[in-house]
This record gives sequence, C-alpha cells and structure tokens, in this order.
Amino acid sequence: MTGTIFVIQLLNALFYAAVLFLIAAGLSLIYGVMRIVNLAHGSLYALGAYVTAWAVGGAVGAAVAGTLGQIGLFLLLPIGAIAVGVLGAVIEPTLLRPLYRRSEEYHLLITFGLLMIIEDMLKLIFGGTPLTASNIMDGLGSISVGALPYPTYNLLVIAIGVAAAVGLWWFVYRTKFGVILRAISQDRRMAAALGINVGRVYVQAFAIGCFITGLGGAIVVPAQAAVLGMGVEWLIVAFVVVVIGGLGSLEGALVGALIVGIAHVAGIQFFAEIELAVLYLIATVVLMVRPTGLFGRA
Amino acid sequence: MSEVTRRNFLNNLAVGAAAAATVAPVTYFAGPRPAHAAIKVKGVVPDKPFKTGHITFLTGPANLLGEPGRKGHLLAAEEINAEGGFLGKRKIETIMADEAAGTDANVKELRRMKLSEKIDLFTGVISSGNTPALGPVAEELGLLTMFNDGCTDFLFDKAVPNPKYVFRVTNIQSADGVTSAVGAAKAWPNAKRVASIQPDYSYGRNVHEHFMLAYQKLVPGATSVSEAWPKLGTTDFTPHITKLISDTPDVLICGVWGGDYVAFYKQALRYGLFDKMKVATTLAFGGQPHAIGKDHPEGVLAGVHANYFFLHPAKGRWPTNDGFVERYYKRWSEYPSFESDGAYASLYLLKAAIEKANLLVGGWPEDEVIIAMLEGMGMDTPAGYLYIRPDNHQGYKDAVIGMTKNNPAYPFPVWDPNSIITIPIRDITAPPNWPKPGTTHNESTAAANWLKTTWLT
Repeated sequence: MTGTIFVIQLLNALFYAAVLFLIAAGLSLIYGVMRIVNLAHGSLYALGAYVTAWAVGGAVGAAVAGTLGQIGLFLLLPIGAIAVGVLGAVIEPTLLRPLYRRSEEYHLLITFGLLMIIEDMLKLIFGGTPLTASNIMDGLGSISVGALPYPTYNLLVIAIGVAAAVGLWWFVYRTKFGVILRAISQDRRMAAALGINVGRVYVQAFAIGCFITGLGGAIVVPAQAAVLGMGVEWLIVAFVVVVIGGLGSLEGALVGALIVGIAHVAGIQFFAEIELAVLYLIATVVLMVRPTGLFGRA
Repeated sequence: MSEVTRRNFLNNLAVGAAAAATVAPVTYFAGPRPAHAAIKVKGVVPDKPFKTGHITFLTGPANLLGEPGRKGHLLAAEEINAEGGFLGKRKIETIMADEAAGTDANVKELRRMKLSEKIDLFTGVISSGNTPALGPVAEELGLLTMFNDGCTDFLFDKAVPNPKYVFRVTNIQSADGVTSAVGAAKAWPNAKRVASIQPDYSYGRNVHEHFMLAYQKLVPGATSVSEAWPKLGTTDFTPHITKLISDTPDVLICGVWGGDYVAFYKQALRYGLFDKMKVATTLAFGGQPHAIGKDHPEGVLAGVHANYFFLHPAKGRWPTNDGFVERYYKRWSEYPSFESDGAYASLYLLKAAIEKANLLVGGWPEDEVIIAMLEGMGMDTPAGYLYIRPDNHQGYKDAVIGMTKNNPAYPFPVWDPNSIITIPIRDITAPPNWPKPGTTHNESTAAANWLKTTWLT
C-alpha cells in the first residue's frame, strides 16, 4: 500500500507540475521578451479551460463524438488554447503596446483590469455553474497502480507537459525565431537596429505565451472542472513558481514547477495543517539566498 | 373531489372568520397572499421605495451559492412588489454588491450602502468569514439586517452577543456537523475510523469539531485517522484524495462546498475514493441542484447546510413549498437551493413583521417595533416551520439530510425519499441562554459546550 500511495502521489505531483509549468512558462516567456508582468495570465488560463469545456462537454462535443468518436474529442481539446492565443494576438497590439514606454505600475494596472474584465466575461458568457469535459477523461478509463485506479488521462497531461517543455526548449534555443526572441530579450534597441521587426515579434511572443497558458487550461479541464475563480488560484501559485525559478527563465519555470508540485503534494501527505506555508517558505528561502530566483538574471 | 390542502383550509378559515368579525384576520407564510385575504393597512404609509442592500457572491466558485440566493431574494421582492410593496405602498428596490471583493471591502460597502444609498435593510452574505465583521458594523449603524447565511456560531456567541438590529434567518453552523454525524451514525453504525476533508477556514474547522464531538458520542470508539485541509477555491484535490485513501478510513466527513465540491467529487470518483469509504457531506446538495452531475455516486450522505432541498417536504405535503418551487422554476428555469429558500423567507419574514407592527401602531412602523415583532416570530416557509429565537435573533428550523440517488425525472441526483431523516433542531443546538464562550467555559462555541456536557450523557 505504501508503495502504491507513493507512486500515485508522485504522479499527482507531476500532473500538478505539468499544468503549472504551462502557466508559468507562458508567464515567463512574456516577461522575458517584453518585460510585462501579466496579472491577467491566470484568467487567460481559465478562459482556455472554459472554451474547451464548453466545446468538448457541450453540444459541439456531442456532435463531434457522434461522427468521429473519441478521436474527435481529442481534436477538439486544443480549441481553448487556440482561442486564448488568438485573444493574445489582439490584446498585445491594442492594450499593451501603448504602455511599453511607461513604468511598470501601468503594466500592473492594465493587466489587473484585464483580469477583472475576463473574470466577469467568463461569468457573463458561461454562467456561474461549473462546466466539465469529463467525457474525454471517462473515455480513456484508468490503469491500475497496485490496488488503486489511476486515470489514464492524467498520464496524458503529464506527457503533454513534458512535450511542451522539450518543444519550448527546442523552439527558443534551436530555431531562428528563438534566436530573435533571445536577442530582443537581451537588447531591444540593438535588435531593432539590426532590422528585426520588434512589433511583430512581440505579437507572436505574446500570442505564444497565451497559447501555452490556454493549453494548460484546456488539458486540465477534463480532469477537473472550469469554475469561476480558478484563474486567480493558479495565478498565485504560478507566481510562486517564477519567484523560485526566476522570472523570465524557461528552465526556471520547469524546475520551479517541479519543486512546487512535489512540495505541494508532500505537504498534503505529511503535514496537512501547514501545507500552504511550505510553498511560501521555499519561496522565501530562495528569495533570501538568490533574490533573482534559481535561474533568474539580475 | 377538491383536495383539502393546508393552505386552502387556512384560507377558508380566514374567509369564514372575516364574515363573522369586521377585522380581517391575517395568515402569515412565505408566499404571495390570495387577493381575498389581502390585509387592511392601518394609518397612512408613504410610498417611498424600500431600499435593500444585498451582498452575495456574484463571482468565484461560491457563486454556486450566491446565485440561487440572489434569485430567491429577487423572486420574493417581485412578488411583494406585485402586491404593491410592503403594506401595499413601499416597493422593494435592491442594490447588489459582490461578496468576493473580500471582508474589508464588504464592510466598506455596507457603510456606503447605509450612509450614501440610505438603505432600509441589509441582507444576503454567504461566508462565515464575513458575518462576524459585518454584524457589529450593522449594529453600530443601527441598520436592520437579515443575514441569509454566513452561519458561524461565532456571530451571536462572540461578535454580536446581544443583537438588536441583526438577525440571521438560515442556520447555526454547529448544527451542520452534528446533522451529518447523526446521519452517518444511523447509516453506518460500525464506521469507527473517521477521515475529514474540510476547507481551511472557520467553516471547515467548525464542521470538523462538531462532527467529531457528536460522532464520538454516537459511535463509541470512533477516532479521527486522517485530515485534509484544502484551501477555499482549490481545483486540484488529487493529493488530498490519495492521502485520505492512504489512511484507510471507514467514513469520510466532507465540508467542501460550491464549485470546490464539484471538482472534488469528480476527482474522488476517478481515484476510486467512493469505493474505499463511506462519504458524509454537509453541503453536497448546497449549490444549484443542477451543478451536480448524474455521475455523482449514489448512497452519499448529502448535506444541505441550511436544511432545505426542493424535493422536501415532498410535493403535496407542504403547499408553501409546492408553490415556491413552481414559481421559482417558472421565473428562473431551474430549481431552488437552500440559499434561495433563505433569501426568499427573509423578505417574507420581514413583510409579516411589518404588517403585524402596522396593526399595532399604524402607519409605517419604526424599526424598533418591526424588531419586536421579528423576535420570537414563527412562520411557514418553503423548508418548513421557521422560528426566530428572541435571545439570539437566530432562525431555527428542523435539520434534514438524505442519501443521493438518481431519479430519471431530474437531470441531476436527488435525495432518496426513503433515506431522508429530519432531526428536531432543539435536539442538536444549545438551548436559549446557554453560557457563551468566554463566560463559564472556553469552548469554541456554546453548542460545543452544550454537546460535551449534556448530549447523550
């Protein structure tokens, strides 16, 4: 039994870390490239969850499942991520671009305003009742870990998290677009002087950051539910991740997500009473020892 | 052929009596009054609107409770306004604010509503974190207040020990844990290993403590083997669920509520938790009924916190409920929850108090006279008979709980009619004037002290 519980809790930690990594990676990518702390990031995650739940769990999902079966539902799954990516491509040029020259307080104000607007829009469009997309999850069934069932779908989420980490690393360090991203991140003026269309790269980077976060929401919703307020809950934990890992660093987001995932689960299993404090304690220690985070630059 | 229901029985009585006497006698219940039973208002009443401030969760996972509360309030207001308003003159106007803004913001909003909007009544409020902060401010402002929920014992034990303006219509919180304990002990008398999963704030602490107090008296030898304290607003319960399973309990007491409960039960289902232990809840049926899916397991003890589920009292057994469910469904295309019942009953209680006060003093009665009428008032509400105790301004009605079962007539699980138990409220709550915490004892609530010293001894 102890071994079974250990394996399942480890999988729980990896599941948590996978979703958290997607959110934190989007947050870090956006900050790394355009130096904007996006407070609306959690709400974009929630939007991804709502759109996927609405599509997969609702009439669209039923129609697609009727013609294409379970595969159709999987094709529908990323729709939340795509919707959030598209929204990102609209938000950046309209709301954020006028603010780059202003101080950071303006960034915080406008993204916080955006958070409120998205939260209210979610309620207006999707209503107050939680939406679910559990038909995907139930279709996959479960595997046995020892004497206990474990949902197969959760393994898929972990796999998507790993694939996203590898894909992002390859994208940033092995492609030309990645080189441009890193160049802009290091010196925006020099990059512009070299003929890079910074404005276009900003839209693309912001949309990609939004897409990754939306993907987190899209893949989490079959396992949980889209509920009002979910964005704010995950935003706070995502900030703990980037504080530990270093804001603006993809490696930091990955390592931070793993640390937070494991600490979160271990806290619940062994010291339920102070589980919340454990996370913030780790963040505090990191801030004292390395104020820029484990992988952050000063 | 015509069935004698309680209401037309009463109405017939009223008609007969009206013929005999010149003063029309009045019946009071939560619902619109038939035209022939209209009251006769004494004196002159101004037709100034009656302004009401209502704070509830308009956003966040707790909106699952806030929304039906808002709808119950609005339905009652619309019905009363259709009769011309309070005393046929003062129409109810409601201004709303979002409880999710946080305790400090709620306190500021309450002051603003009183001082700049000049509200006559304050109502709503779901969270037990908020009523203890809002109650003293309402007393200080001299503002007539009817909390619909926010049911912590602490409000009238400590925060407002001698209320004048503040009432609470629904439930006293300690009764939640005790009700679930009675239900669980009756269903599973041999379940000795107890696990607990509670939201990590005052409500969860209260449920855990009072459940264990009562359960250990009902099931001798019961021990707590596992505790999980997810914070309010948690969406990922899987580590908590795995921990609970690892401690191999016989029964789980769950106080998780709102959108959190929906996420919890779906994950627990897929982790096989319901196969490993019996589950008792305080709020599984606490949100809008349709928020819980057909995939919810059967045989779970489903609590309703403030003791109302729309199918109980059953159709044909309690006309006040039949009419309420019908009108509510017609208005909102969904079924009411206990928050709907509480918010709805609040306005009708006030209406009855205003009418009684008017009969006494004529014209629009002062708050003091309305309050004197509310103290000790009893009334038929959708949930059953509701009584406002004069010593602590708390509403009391019998506690109910039942087991989940799927019924093809509804797209969500409901109570198995054969499983519903009703517990007289006086058997599970401290009697009037029982010593409050900090006087002769230092328990967390008066109820805890009463349970420890007198219950089943």
